[in-house]
Amino acid sequence: MYLKLSGAVLIILTAYLFGFNLSSAYRSRVRQLEEILMALEMYLTEINYGLTPLPQAFINIGKRIKVPTGCLFIDAARLMLQNKGLSASGCWESAVGKNTPALDLISDDLELVKRLGYIWGKSDKSGQIRQVSFIQELLRQALKEARKAQQTNDKIWKYLGLLGGMTLVIFLL
Amino acid sequence: MHNPGYIIKKQICQYLAPRVRMIIQKLPYDLITKTEEIRLRHSRPLILYWAGGESYLGVTGPVSMAKEAYIVTGEDMENTLELISSYSLYAYEEEIRQGYLTIPGGHRVGLAGRAVVENGKIKILRDITSFNFRVARQIKGAGEKVLPFLYDRRVGRIYHTLIISPPQGGKTTLLRDLARLISEGVGILGKGGQKVGIVDERSEIAGCFQGVPQLDVGLRTDVLDACPKAEGMMLMLRSLSPQVIITDEIGRDDDARAIEDAVHAGVSVIASAHGSSMDEICQRPVLGMLLENNYFERLVFLSNSRGPGTLEMIVEGERGLPLYSARSGGE
Repeated sequence: MYLKLSGAVLIILTAYLFGFNLSSAYRSRVRQLEEILMALEMYLTEINYGLTPLPQAFINIGKRIKVPTGCLFIDAARLMLQNKGLSASGCWESAVGKNTPALDLISDDLELVKRLGYIWGKSDKSGQIRQVSFIQELLRQALKEARKAQQTNDKIWKYLGLLGGMTLVIFLL
Repeated sequence: MHNPGYIIKKQICQYLAPRVRMIIQKLPYDLITKTEEIRLRHSRPLILYWAGGESYLGVTGPVSMAKEAYIVTGEDMENTLELISSYSLYAYEEEIRQGYLTIPGGHRVGLAGRAVVENGKIKILRDITSFNFRVARQIKGAGEKVLPFLYDRRVGRIYHTLIISPPQGGKTTLLRDLARLISEGVGILGKGGQKVGIVDERSEIAGCFQGVPQLDVGLRTDVLDACPKAEGMMLMLRSLSPQVIITDEIGRDDDARAIEDAVHAGVSVIASAHGSSMDEICQRPVLGMLLENNYFERLVFLSNSRGPGTLEMIVEGERGLPLYSARSGGE
């Protein structure tokens, strides 16, 4: 009896955790979008007040933002500092490519992030501010959508996991 | 001091787009050691310049015909701009407006492109179509021959001096070496060096990168980098108590006023100006006035008749007596 009960609890718990895991991708997407927005804000500060060169600005940003989002900046800066003559967009693209598996962003978000590669350092200060603000605006919309998706999907997956586990237990009993 | 070939490969190549970089890396030693300028022009052949010559560069090395040369692409231009500005155009707005950037090692990269003008002044250069990598080479000892003529042994001061030469005649090289010699206090000065202030409006004399001189200008030398000459000279006089002020390319009204002030304050001035003869200099309004009033006690004429930095003549300012002439070869 005890064996059956503990088995049932184990199944339900696993199923719940499975659902929880699926729903967590929605939460991380929100968090990562927020972090990127914060990074862009930091970038604007770096160039506006410090006139910090791009690689250094990226390192400063990357250090203050959690893994894996911060890695985008650190990896891009590393590539720039290797003196291989890569373009800024090339460095950014390979940093994005390298970190994509660790990120929970959907392809639309990634497109926006990749577009930043064609902006970094390519214009004077006012141009940078304008272009980065535009991407920020698009990212904010993506964030809004991500929050909505999180709210609806978060509960669904958790309940689905729990209910699925329970159904399985009933069948097995 | 490393040889120029080493300097180009170590210091300049990393700022060139990869394809251009490869071409330069493969150049034969004798060619790269004499290189003075590397020219990148959008959709045109890659060209190397040295004193009195040029060469087209192809993928495998120097070529004789323009059509065999490597044609610089738009991507190369864009890439090079990113590299020299360390991916940060926004941080170099002022330099780009001036038309050049200085990279570590003191080398200057001249730019040309489309100017965006606002209120009659250049706001920024866009669509850069030309890069001119000018190799900064310090020729230590370039001033040793000249310095004894510029030093008044009786009172231990440097004469107010004007160095005159056509472009690429070695003015800046001479100014830099004089700064170093005076500042370090070599043999003929007899004692320790003097305090030297360099007002380096075009970052050419000291080749500053982020304010730090990349070329040796001596131990007792202060450098005001990228500072307008007249204002810089006044600032020097007010707060840095120099014994000698060195500046280049004088010619504007306020330059003359600042030189007057320095001379009256008892500070020796060494300046340079474009020109090839006394008559030509005298016709220029500001320089003519300075010469007429005998502000300069020594005039040094350079040319590139036998390579850059050929010393042609040193003349005493007031009476125009020649102290040295390349033809007679002595005092």
